[in-house]
Amino acid sequence: MRKLAPLLLRLALWAILALTLFPIVWMVVTAVKPADMSQTLPPVWVFRPTMSNFVSVLTGKTYASQNFGVLLLHSLIVTVASTLLALLVGVPAAYGLARVRFRGRRAAATWILSTIMFPPAVSVVPIFILSARLSLTDTYPVLIVPYAAFSLPMVIWMLRSSIKQIPFEIEEAAMVDGLSQLAMVRVIVLPLLVPGIVAAALLSAILSWNEFLFALTLTRSKVQTAPVGLNEFTSMYGTQWGQLTAAATVTVAPILVMTLVLRRRLVEGLSFGAVK
Amino acid sequence: MAIPGAATAGGAITGPPPPRYWVRHRVALTGWGLLAPALIVLLIMSVVPTIYLVMFAFQHVDLLGPGTKFVGIQNFERVLGDPEMWSDAGATALYVALAVSIQLVFGMALALMLNRKMRETNLLTALFILPLGVAPVVSALIFRELLNPVYGWVDFYLQSWGLMGDPVDWLANPLTAWISIITLDVWQWTPFVALILLAGLQGVPQEPREAAVVDGAGPLSLFWHVTLPLMRPFIAIALVLRAIEAFKTFAGVYVLTGGGPGTSTTLLTLDMYRIALQDFDVGAASALGICFLFALSFVMSRLLAVLAKSTDILED
Repeated sequence: MRKLAPLLLRLALWAILALTLFPIVWMVVTAVKPADMSQTLPPVWVFRPTMSNFVSVLTGKTYASQNFGVLLLHSLIVTVASTLLALLVGVPAAYGLARVRFRGRRAAATWILSTIMFPPAVSVVPIFILSARLSLTDTYPVLIVPYAAFSLPMVIWMLRSSIKQIPFEIEEAAMVDGLSQLAMVRVIVLPLLVPGIVAAALLSAILSWNEFLFALTLTRSKVQTAPVGLNEFTSMYGTQWGQLTAAATVTVAPILVMTLVLRRRLVEGLSFGAVK
Repeated sequence: MAIPGAATAGGAITGPPPPRYWVRHRVALTGWGLLAPALIVLLIMSVVPTIYLVMFAFQHVDLLGPGTKFVGIQNFERVLGDPEMWSDAGATALYVALAVSIQLVFGMALALMLNRKMRETNLLTALFILPLGVAPVVSALIFRELLNPVYGWVDFYLQSWGLMGDPVDWLANPLTAWISIITLDVWQWTPFVALILLAGLQGVPQEPREAAVVDGAGPLSLFWHVTLPLMRPFIAIALVLRAIEAFKTFAGVYVLTGGGPGTSTTLLTLDMYRIALQDFDVGAASALGICFLFALSFVMSRLLAVLAKSTDILED
């Protein structure tokens, strides 16, 4: 019995894992399945994999008015720009919160964190009206700024704790040696902060890439992103599993790779540093 | 580490002597100056929308013509007088309560299972994290196809393994539609909860456990009276973060059930979307939004109190 228990535990864990990963595996398997087999029951498990679904999704005008590759490009532009914006304003803010002892700092930090509670479904209503009045609907900025705001609390929290882990004595010594504070930040702090910045950037990118509500509401064809296109995919042409899952796989694959790379930093970031 | 503000801010200043105002306030100016860009971005997405919500809530907003006019509290009367809104508010609360509590229970079970030294622990935790990266739209689409009553694999395998008689149209019946949206959220987020709790388990000191074992505590009372209290900060953080996100849920439910069948799975976030962006009744949506924010700020202040009491996440 004593040897059996750990074995059973491992079996149970692997079974739970299989169940957990099943939807993802189903998506990938269906994406490489020949179209005529994808919806047959009983499900076909053995077949010759094909790339034709990916080819038709990425190059053909399989749905709506444009191919899925264009939507991925929109997603990429929005994701990169919002991540850069979040870092551009987030790094100084994190440094200020970590190293400058000014009055109101704690209140500011708490307020920054509290903005994560604002439901996007509520803020999207006024943003929609404002963007229409300013003729910003279906432009990149109308997604870039909100996405940066969505990931900023997390970016600032992650970077603030990274900065605090840099011994302050290093900074002091550099300033004693006559470096200005700005130069010191550039020469000493930023290089040490690179791993933290990379992790924060990847997290911010994941959030932006996956966002749905704002993209659904504020974009039409010019800036439409991949998640919105995926949803339209089924409502417009019924359900063709091969193409749907191929498009879904292309959308999810880069994020899954980043998730695997980040792993612990992902949980650390999403839990605002509660888990180190 | 006590760092005097004056030593950290401003730094070496060369050139002409700085104005006296700068000298006196340079710590505050440096701090707020560094924060300002981030605060502006966050203000655009929180305070600015709130101001407009309040304005719109007392107006009839005409998107196309010049028909925007002040209507007093009419919008609030309509929203609060609509029994559907109250039942959707109840649905939202139920959704959060069910999803988060199931995730905490399953997450704890998974964390306890993973908290053993095994050769494959690292591999397992790495793979368990994957649902976190799947866009909610994608996971909802996958669930929708798997639950399809005609082609879906769920019905097929449940039937062929003899677990179910007639095929079930999962999304066409309120109870099974609820099971589906809760399962979707549980699938997506249980691994995250498990990893937070696992970190907690690994940080629990061994001495109290050993002392309890010496005192003759069984595994169950050991868990209940020793481990669980020690993990309180981690449970609190998982609870609060998941509750915040669950209240904000839109994409998964919108894609999986669209709020149906009927309005049985309609959360307040879906109401906001429908009223504002499909019925174009911006005034009513704004009034609903303000009520939602009010209710939420009450719940959140309680949750933040939990967080402040049992963790140091809000500390410097």
